[in-house]
Amino acid sequence: MNSKHPLWQNLFRPKEDRISEVTDMWMSTPLFDKITKRECRDLVKTMHPRHYKKGEMVFSSGDIGASIVLIRSGGIEIKATEKLLAELTAGDFFGEVALIIDEPRTADAIASEESELIFFLRTDLDEWVKRSPKSGAQFMLNIATVLAARLRHTNILLSLQNN
Amino acid sequence: MIQTLIQHPRSKTLFIFSLISAVLAILAILLAPLLIPIIISFALYALLEPISEIFERYGLSRNASSLSVLLILVGIGSIGGSLLLPHLSTQLSSLQSQLPIVWETITTMGNDFSQHIVSSLGLEIQSSGLTLHFFNQLNDWGKNALIEGSNLIISLSLLLVLVPIFTFFLIRDFRNFRNNILDKLPNSSFEMGWLIYYRVAHQLQEYIRGIMIQSGIMCIITTIGFYIIGLDSPFLLGVIAGVLNLIPYVGPLLAMVLPVLLALAHTPVELWLIGSAISVILIAQVIDNAIVIPAVVANAVNLHPLVVIVGIIIFGNLFGFIGMVVAIPVISTMNIIYCGLHQGIKNRSDLKLKTESIS
Repeated sequence: MNSKHPLWQNLFRPKEDRISEVTDMWMSTPLFDKITKRECRDLVKTMHPRHYKKGEMVFSSGDIGASIVLIRSGGIEIKATEKLLAELTAGDFFGEVALIIDEPRTADAIASEESELIFFLRTDLDEWVKRSPKSGAQFMLNIATVLAARLRHTNILLSLQNN
Repeated sequence: MIQTLIQHPRSKTLFIFSLISAVLAILAILLAPLLIPIIISFALYALLEPISEIFERYGLSRNASSLSVLLILVGIGSIGGSLLLPHLSTQLSSLQSQLPIVWETITTMGNDFSQHIVSSLGLEIQSSGLTLHFFNQLNDWGKNALIEGSNLIISLSLLLVLVPIFTFFLIRDFRNFRNNILDKLPNSSFEMGWLIYYRVAHQLQEYIRGIMIQSGIMCIITTIGFYIIGLDSPFLLGVIAGVLNLIPYVGPLLAMVLPVLLALAHTPVELWLIGSAISVILIAQVIDNAIVIPAVVANAVNLHPLVVIVGIIIFGNLFGFIGMVVAIPVISTMNIIYCGLHQGIKNRSDLKLKTESIS
């Protein structure tokens, strides 16, 4: 019997095309800078895809976060006290602070359309760092770079507002 | 009415927490015959997972690294068993031969004590009746111990087969199994579920690794101590002290019983030996509390000592020795689950109130 028959397939094995697509998406972000595609691909296999309906809350301000989220399809609105901060689309990521600190989320994330999101959890990161400490350290450095860039951007915005 | 009650964050937390506890209790009842091998396998998983990760770091697949860890476990178990078991069995036989002397000494001491009471207070204690009752009680315990012993051999053989198999599959498949279960959570509680898992797993791993190292160190210290003071069967007593040390607070007290009884077996009774046996356990406890616990077990569980003692007594009463050993990790896990649930539910409720007040 052909092993590709649905009856004989491992139902839990992530689909190959999805893994390749998500790997490419992560590789195009600054988070996986200087990390090999093979390693990123292995990591993607452990990530958690989830589907959200239009208007569904991904997380809200005050929730304790545990993951960074990549948008595979659809769109996400980031809001703070009902004010729209950003509109994110496929290939964008958000919530990276939760990977580093055990603190409440500072904004709401709401699906603006039917969306598929890929969650990279702190548990996955911890296990990856133990398996591949060098790549894990590089990833941490990349996150620090992203956070520093966002902090710098916020500072510039604040100084412009004050002036 | 019930729906309104469940809407309140604390009631809702209690409701969900009770449901989770009920599911876990049903699972524990269903898996009762396999519970001990499962608990030991999880403890070994917590200890051996880092070794498997090292193998994976050097390019071995998950299958190959799990198999390598299993071979190491079986290898160490076989070598350790072949080296230590003959020694332990010799010491056990010597201990068995000493037990009649211990009982005789206790009886003599009991008689001396009653005579002392009679001469000093004029009260008469029927020591012969008490001694008879004591020996009848001992006889019953002995019979039970023999029956338990034969059951223990069967359980031990089952453990030797099941534990390596369970440990292998835990190292190889636990992550996939866990992912498949946690990914079934609804979107609204997905992150909260993972966060609670992360905290529980982190704390349990720390606790199991810490307490295993702590027991090993206690075993070494007490063995050396008993050897120095010249007590018989020092290695066996050290192993028993190490195993009993798995039970916080109560374990060290229980660990004193056998060395003191053995010291009593010396004729004539040497008080300094009894004192030294107690001192060895106390010194080991001081080293444990001052150096070992802060270094390896500190902050692994954050529970009030009273909760720990009451928990150990209740679990010990319900499930025996294994209950006393697992009491702390179980209470600590339930504590994290409750706090995590309450935090998540309260945040959601506060947000709902905020949104309602804005609209």
